[in-house]
Amino acid sequence: MIDVDLTSMIDVVFQLIIFFMFTSQFGELRRTEIDLPHQPGDQIEARQEPAMIIDLTNSGTYLVESIETSLTEIERLARVGVLAQSTQDPFDVLIRPDRNASAVHLDRLLLRLSNTGVLRWKLATVNPGGGQ
Amino acid sequence: MSSIRKRKSKRQSARLGALPLTSMIDVVFLLLIFFLVTANFAQDEHKLPATVQTEGGGVQSSDLQPQIVQIRMQGGAPIFVIGEVATGDGASLESVLNNLPKEPGIAIKSEPDVPISAIAAALQAARNAGFDKRSYVPSDGE
Repeated sequence: MIDVDLTSMIDVVFQLIIFFMFTSQFGELRRTEIDLPHQPGDQIEARQEPAMIIDLTNSGTYLVESIETSLTEIERLARVGVLAQSTQDPFDVLIRPDRNASAVHLDRLLLRLSNTGVLRWKLATVNPGGGQ
Repeated sequence: MSSIRKRKSKRQSARLGALPLTSMIDVVFLLLIFFLVTANFAQDEHKLPATVQTEGGGVQSSDLQPQIVQIRMQGGAPIFVIGEVATGDGASLESVLNNLPKEPGIAIKSEPDVPISAIAAALQAARNAGFDKRSYVPSDGE
């Protein structure tokens, strides 16, 4: 009988699993911490990640990938996204606003987005109870 | 007698020493890290889909004019006005919206100083009331 040492193999396999799990979660970690509106949201949600995520802080600063971005730059990025979209892969915008931010900042952003042809958007919320 | 006992204890310790503890600790730590990585400590985010309706364009769902919910500030708190009815919270707005026809859809407008939480509450109330066509009308600030 050949004595196979499984321990080392399990070690390596687990290391690989952890590595891939860490790297796949970096996208989630990149999101800025924002006090989102407390609403349960839509219960039927698409599993697909949005193509563009825009954070809106309490002071009215717009962040894309955690980097402060001007409305002109957001408009340019959205234009590129709209041109590249297809019926299978539509350009999907998620806005993550601070719940205490004024509507004027959201209005300015949506007007710029609508100029580029973005007509559908999603507002990020958190469940007030903290559940699913 | 005592020499036999000593020999027995030596044999026992030799057997214990042969246990591959290092590998076991390795695996236990890896399992611990695995469960820490897979556990989700962040709050789950949800989404409220809507469309943009502007003066010059936007999503026009039908020939019917959507019913409009206006959000205004009154005494430092947002109020929701639909027609001649004014409500102070999302739950009351939802019960008002429940009685309205769903086909024309609903449009939400807000004053510039209204907090976004009120817009989210209006969108949520419209969604809960069964409106599939929900649009937001951004103000151009004029």
